[in-house]
Amino acid sequence: MGRRAAVVGAGMTRFVRRAQETGKELAWEAARAALDSCELTLADVDAVCLTSAPDAFDGVHMKGEYLSDGAGGWGKPTIRTYVGGGSGVFVGIQAWYTVASGMADVVLVVAEEKMSSCQPHPQGAFLTIFDSVLERPLGPNLLWIFALEMNRYMHAYGVDKRDIAAVAVKYKRNAADHPSALLGGTEVTIEDVLASETLAWPVQRLDVSPVSDGAVALVVAAEGVAERITDRPVWIEGVGWNLDTTYWTNRDLVFPEYVANAARMAYEMAGVTEPRKQIHVAEPYDPFDYKELHHLEGLLLFDRGKAPEAAREGVLDRGGDLPSCPSGGLLGVGNPIAAAGLMKLAELFWQLRGDAGARQVPGTPERGVAQAWGDLMQVGTVVVMGVEGVSEGRPAGPAAMEVPTPPTEPRGRGLSEAEFRAAPGAVEHALDARYAWDAGVAVGRFLDGLREGRIVGRECRGCERVLVPPRMFCERCFRSSDAWVEVETTGTVQTFSICHVAWDMERLEEPQIPAVVAIDGSDGGFLHLLGEVGSSQVRIGLRVEAVWRPEDERTGSIQDIAYFRPVAEEG
Amino acid sequence: MLEKHSGPDRVRRWPGTIPVLHRYTPGVAGETFFDALRDRGVLLGSRCGTCGFTYVPARLFCERCFAELAADTEVGPGGELVSFTIGFVGLNGGPLDEPVTLGLVRLDGADAVLCHRILDPGGDEPLGIGQRVEVVVRPPDERTGSILDIAGFRLQ
Repeated sequence: MGRRAAVVGAGMTRFVRRAQETGKELAWEAARAALDSCELTLADVDAVCLTSAPDAFDGVHMKGEYLSDGAGGWGKPTIRTYVGGGSGVFVGIQAWYTVASGMADVVLVVAEEKMSSCQPHPQGAFLTIFDSVLERPLGPNLLWIFALEMNRYMHAYGVDKRDIAAVAVKYKRNAADHPSALLGGTEVTIEDVLASETLAWPVQRLDVSPVSDGAVALVVAAEGVAERITDRPVWIEGVGWNLDTTYWTNRDLVFPEYVANAARMAYEMAGVTEPRKQIHVAEPYDPFDYKELHHLEGLLLFDRGKAPEAAREGVLDRGGDLPSCPSGGLLGVGNPIAAAGLMKLAELFWQLRGDAGARQVPGTPERGVAQAWGDLMQVGTVVVMGVEGVSEGRPAGPAAMEVPTPPTEPRGRGLSEAEFRAAPGAVEHALDARYAWDAGVAVGRFLDGLREGRIVGRECRGCERVLVPPRMFCERCFRSSDAWVEVETTGTVQTFSICHVAWDMERLEEPQIPAVVAIDGSDGGFLHLLGEVGSSQVRIGLRVEAVWRPEDERTGSIQDIAYFRPVAEEG
Repeated sequence: MLEKHSGPDRVRRWPGTIPVLHRYTPGVAGETFFDALRDRGVLLGSRCGTCGFTYVPARLFCERCFAELAADTEVGPGGELVSFTIGFVGLNGGPLDEPVTLGLVRLDGADAVLCHRILDPGGDEPLGIGQRVEVVVRPPDERTGSILDIAGFRLQ
């Protein structure tokens, strides 16, 4: 598998709500701290691996190139990778293969995010994650996809919201010991979480990680070089990545297959055959509290539906049998998207060396796993890291370090809302990006069908599925689909949310009830809204039927179906 | 597999936007630069002693060697025209009412160049690369801490 690679240094900025620093300055602060932590200079760096999430967050086109000077990329081989929220862990994988290939001995790895630039709310940059033709006309917001997944997971295993709220409490408690944390605090209780504002049921405000700015950096070196830089390199033992279909309404959200696939890939490379025993510390991706549990199961560390029980029993606490997110995670430290993922690799680096200070998990953890997730609930990125020689008398616990662990001395400060608005030299631009999206061949016919009051799908004889929404090729069989098929206009609610806020987080007058409806006669379904039903009557498994607009008002749009309503019960 | 549409009116399109506005703060070094421009009418750069390179506007760090920098060097007001262009066409492809001339200028004391408007470039003499220019800063009551506190470069 090529040359081995190890993490030899790490650094990060504080995670703040609004950084005074530009994105370049944030990147430099973290990158400089990482180099200082292992006493290297920029001249020692052979290549730069850089990541940042959508250009639209910072509001800079070609953001990788923009950040490259702050990431040490001047005059060097520098490439930005991007895989949504999975980026922060994936960039560690990118560093691994850059070293394993033999192309570089020392790689500087940088992840940055400055979300505060995006007004009124970074969610606006995310709206195009929804299908422009079939989903955006419904007025979706990003919270829907989390709420729909959370609801499905809770329903499938009968998870008590208290167990999920307890995760948020644990994170904030852990993060109180993280010097970079935005939201660390020991005062939040389960009751506080359960009493917090319902944004899109079942998601409440304290279930959600905060929009943040920040940067993290690592130094990765090849075997033979790493040992000259530090006497305690942390080896990248396994890497894995996997992407699921964008047809998210055609798959069950209860289990992240793509995380499991990535985990298996990483465990196989690392020689991990019994993950629950051989992994000693975990940093799963936690933008929302339920995600820790969902991802721990995806990482094959707990059986499906069993992570909540482990959380309840204290297994996931720092002093427990499998500490999870001892850093305090995204919920506690903050969520500058790409930087948050790399923060997890940095945490494993510090934990496995015994350098995590007040956050240190007890004992001598030898191996850890970090994972990130992103896109339309699609990508799993996994890295297994480990140290050697632990049983051969390496001193356990904090060892002498010549330079401190996080954070670096900040050159800027976190800005209040007022300071942000008043900053001298600040400039505002509205992105005047206007699009005209084509429906395409398959969706064009689908919309023609809707105008006629019919729902049509495409049959794939390869995998024997009727695809709704229809597509001209089957993404599983990778061949053309075979025939048009008319399906029913009734279906079953797979998952739903009760949403009280718009995408800019302003409160709605009337809540919306988005739902994924599995359509009878097909193997798929789609997102739509429920109507003629009270919030308390909606449930997973509810039988529903399409309510059509009057024929003369139909235009060939997803809104030719006004909404789905419960099928009248008989008797 | 693909169906052909014979009439362009049969291709249906869905209009949409990405509804965001961005607020760009100038950063740590940028604030120092704009404060000095607004308050004192001077342009500050940053010198990296290791690399022997002076950046303008001022920067927090040297991208060549990663050293931390300060906004420690006043540059200009005179400088040399390194390149220029005359624009006749606007953002959306239509003609501008008046052509606009942009120049890249290496101000005295700086190694990096600054891009800004060339004021009153007209006349019969064409612009010459290497020509001496001078930065024109607006009067104090018109300055807000913006790159437009600089009106442009005037030919000397």
